[in-house]
Amino acid sequence: MKSTSGLGEAIKEILTGSKSLVVGMGVTLKRIFMPIVTVQYPRRKLTMTQNFRGHIEAIYFDDTKSHHCVACGLCVRTCPSHVIKVQGEKEKAGGLKYGQKYYIDFTKCSLCGLCVDICPEKAIKFSHEFELAYLSRWDGVIDIMKRLEERQ
Amino acid sequence: MLNIKTIDDTSINERVYQLNLGPQHPSTHGVLHLLLKLDGEVVISADPIVGYSHRGHEKMAENRIWEQFLPNTSRIDYLSGLIYNQGYCMAVEKMCGIEVPERAEYIRVITSELNRISSHLLGIMAFVMDIGAFTPFLYGWDDREHVLDILERVTGSRLTYCYNRFGGVRNDIDQEFCDGTRRFIDRLRGRFKDYHNLITENIIFIKRTRGVGIIPEETALEFGVTGPSLRGSGVAYDVRKNEPYSVYPGFKFEIPVRKEGDVMARYQVRMAEMEQSMKIIEQALDGLPQGPIRARVPRFIDPPAGDCYFAFESARGAVGYYIVSDGTRIPYRIKVRTPSFSNLFVLTRILPGNFIADTIATLGSIDVVVPEIDR
Amino acid sequence: MNINQLPFINEIYGFLGRDLVAAVIGILIILVFVPLNSAFLVWVERKVAGHIQLRPGPMEVGPHGILQTLVDAVKLMSKEMITPKLADKFLFWLAPIIIIIPAIVCFVVIPFSPIMQVREMNVGILLIFSFSSLTVLSILMGGWASNNKYALIGAVRAVAQNVAYEIPLLLSTMSIIIMTNSFKMSEITAAQSTVWFIVYQPVAAIIFFISTTAETNRAPFDLVEAESELVSGFHTEYTGMRFALFFLAEYTNMFIAASMGAVLFFGGWHGPFFPGLIWFVIKVYVLIFVIIWVRWTFPRLRFDQLMNFAWKFMIPVAMLNLMITAVLLKVL
Repeated sequence: MKSTSGLGEAIKEILTGSKSLVVGMGVTLKRIFMPIVTVQYPRRKLTMTQNFRGHIEAIYFDDTKSHHCVACGLCVRTCPSHVIKVQGEKEKAGGLKYGQKYYIDFTKCSLCGLCVDICPEKAIKFSHEFELAYLSRWDGVIDIMKRLEERQ
Repeated sequence: MLNIKTIDDTSINERVYQLNLGPQHPSTHGVLHLLLKLDGEVVISADPIVGYSHRGHEKMAENRIWEQFLPNTSRIDYLSGLIYNQGYCMAVEKMCGIEVPERAEYIRVITSELNRISSHLLGIMAFVMDIGAFTPFLYGWDDREHVLDILERVTGSRLTYCYNRFGGVRNDIDQEFCDGTRRFIDRLRGRFKDYHNLITENIIFIKRTRGVGIIPEETALEFGVTGPSLRGSGVAYDVRKNEPYSVYPGFKFEIPVRKEGDVMARYQVRMAEMEQSMKIIEQALDGLPQGPIRARVPRFIDPPAGDCYFAFESARGAVGYYIVSDGTRIPYRIKVRTPSFSNLFVLTRILPGNFIADTIATLGSIDVVVPEIDR
Repeated sequence: MNINQLPFINEIYGFLGRDLVAAVIGILIILVFVPLNSAFLVWVERKVAGHIQLRPGPMEVGPHGILQTLVDAVKLMSKEMITPKLADKFLFWLAPIIIIIPAIVCFVVIPFSPIMQVREMNVGILLIFSFSSLTVLSILMGGWASNNKYALIGAVRAVAQNVAYEIPLLLSTMSIIIMTNSFKMSEITAAQSTVWFIVYQPVAAIIFFISTTAETNRAPFDLVEAESELVSGFHTEYTGMRFALFFLAEYTNMFIAASMGAVLFFGGWHGPFFPGLIWFVIKVYVLIFVIIWVRWTFPRLRFDQLMNFAWKFMIPVAMLNLMITAVLLKVL
């Protein structure tokens, strides 16, 4: 250690320095005996919060016994990554359209939530799925309506 | 340090060799390439080469409508995602003249300051890890985990947020959020004592950081350095105080300033800024008004033709959005002025004459996020 | 007592010679012990580092991750040993060999217990010091032969650091040696039967521990292989089994340093109830735990500060300690 001004200064620096080192070691020693904060993932899983953003899914409505999507196409227009494809058909002329197929390519979704916000029927929401590992790229293309039926 | 006469590139000196602190390196925070010319262990010249993570955000802005650029803003600087989000929304609101309800402004301030705390925690602790102490990094991440949990409960994301919308925010906050935030603030204040004992008072850390990497005040102003790097050199400039925006004029907080300009000063400025952010959050939580969280805004906005510049303070310095609109739904040009760009290039002036170990310490203390430089 | 005075040696030595058989048995035991010890120490380091950092460390392979090092060793053995194209092939091949052999040889003189010492030499301590100085040669060879600037910087730093910290190491050990008038490790251990030498020589103990931490290139003196600056320093270019040998040598050197510390300052194998071997092992592992604990707490010293610390502080204090010891021994 360089002593800049005199022996007394140097000795004081050595003493305060050594004390700081010992105090630092005490902090880490205390931590060895505190419980760990990590979770062993495959053995123990955490539940997600309510607002967690998984991929989009359709909401189940009792009056249609299915979804409320009218295939208006607003979510398709507002998605920044052009992820959504919707197809619908009309039951009778002059009536509302009814969404039949709704595909999202989740490999490109940035979870921004613009589609959920803009839907006039409030038909979609975020799911809580996070364990999504695919073996092929096309497994990331999800059909939401089919998922809704499978869940029912 | 040592007195080094500048050597220009054409001079041939057989003692000087070139070392790439390459794009792949454990301690440049991102893909930064620093071309060093060294004489033994002393740096003769330092040349940052940027552009390795250029993703074309500003070009993407010319092909998307105004709302669709929101996810991009978070990813420019992923550590201050909420702050950039807020800045973009405020820039567009300034241009269109949209009034934001007061509750939304308060929520924006609270979440932005929480984001600032988490960014500072990561920046400081990564810098300490570069110096060699591996454990404070993990202690900092433990605290950061709590912030991310709080923010996830409200926004749904942990790192790249898309929470602000034109005219307000997306979700409302509830009493559980306020309680959790207050608990977190108390916890973090208790943890500062541990950081103080483990890092700040440590004689090895003091020896490594005092008097190292000094940025003189004139150099900082010349290069356009902003943020904690500028405030560590003695200039008291913070966009939240000098060009106030949102509801910041209503809060009492100070700007920590240090005169020395060395690595230790910047570290202390960041630690003190976390304390000030906590004060702002507490005042905002106490004064949170009731009301709507989003103004009525058309689904796809049509801003008037014109341009607008809006500056705000992220964790790294002053950010500016320069927005040019030609009256349609697609922006004509969005330019983002990022602080890391100017902060990085000050290294060309201050590194020559220092050792390699000081290079790493200085680079860590400037707290650069490389994707922000390249956008 | 020495291993060749055990009863069964008489039956098996045959015409080879008693000393040779004893040496061979001893070396075989050491060759089994050294890799097992290093494997165990790697696991201990990872677990201690994990718990300091609020996480559990390896947990998957075996109960609480005990078999992790074994699996890592198998992985390292199965990797390709790449030699860079412009590297100096002979030195590149030789460097890991030269770092591990002296480490194994040093085990010959360490007194594990009153009867377990492979060979009792009257220059025991000198043997350990001279062989552990060979690590510097190996580091320099590895760094130079790699044809890599990072490795070269690391190797150059290592040479300067090791040479500088040899001197306080020797001076602090001299303070103990002039108290016992012998270089034999077993006699030094025997002389501490009543009081451990750390009570008489606390300053020498502190200097000794700081110097061995610097000699084995452990934090806070690990600028040689500083991960955040030099991407692994002198063993950047080494892969597969060669890297495993460097790694093994680091932990073996740590064991030797800790056992020297235990012998010189903490009484070797003396202790109340248990046999000597257990006390020795306990003391050595407590010292190794302290070394690991220090590594994960402190930042690194910068290189010029490290050298200043050695030349301007440690050496004068060690010399002062030696002189005071000599004067006091004469007076008392």
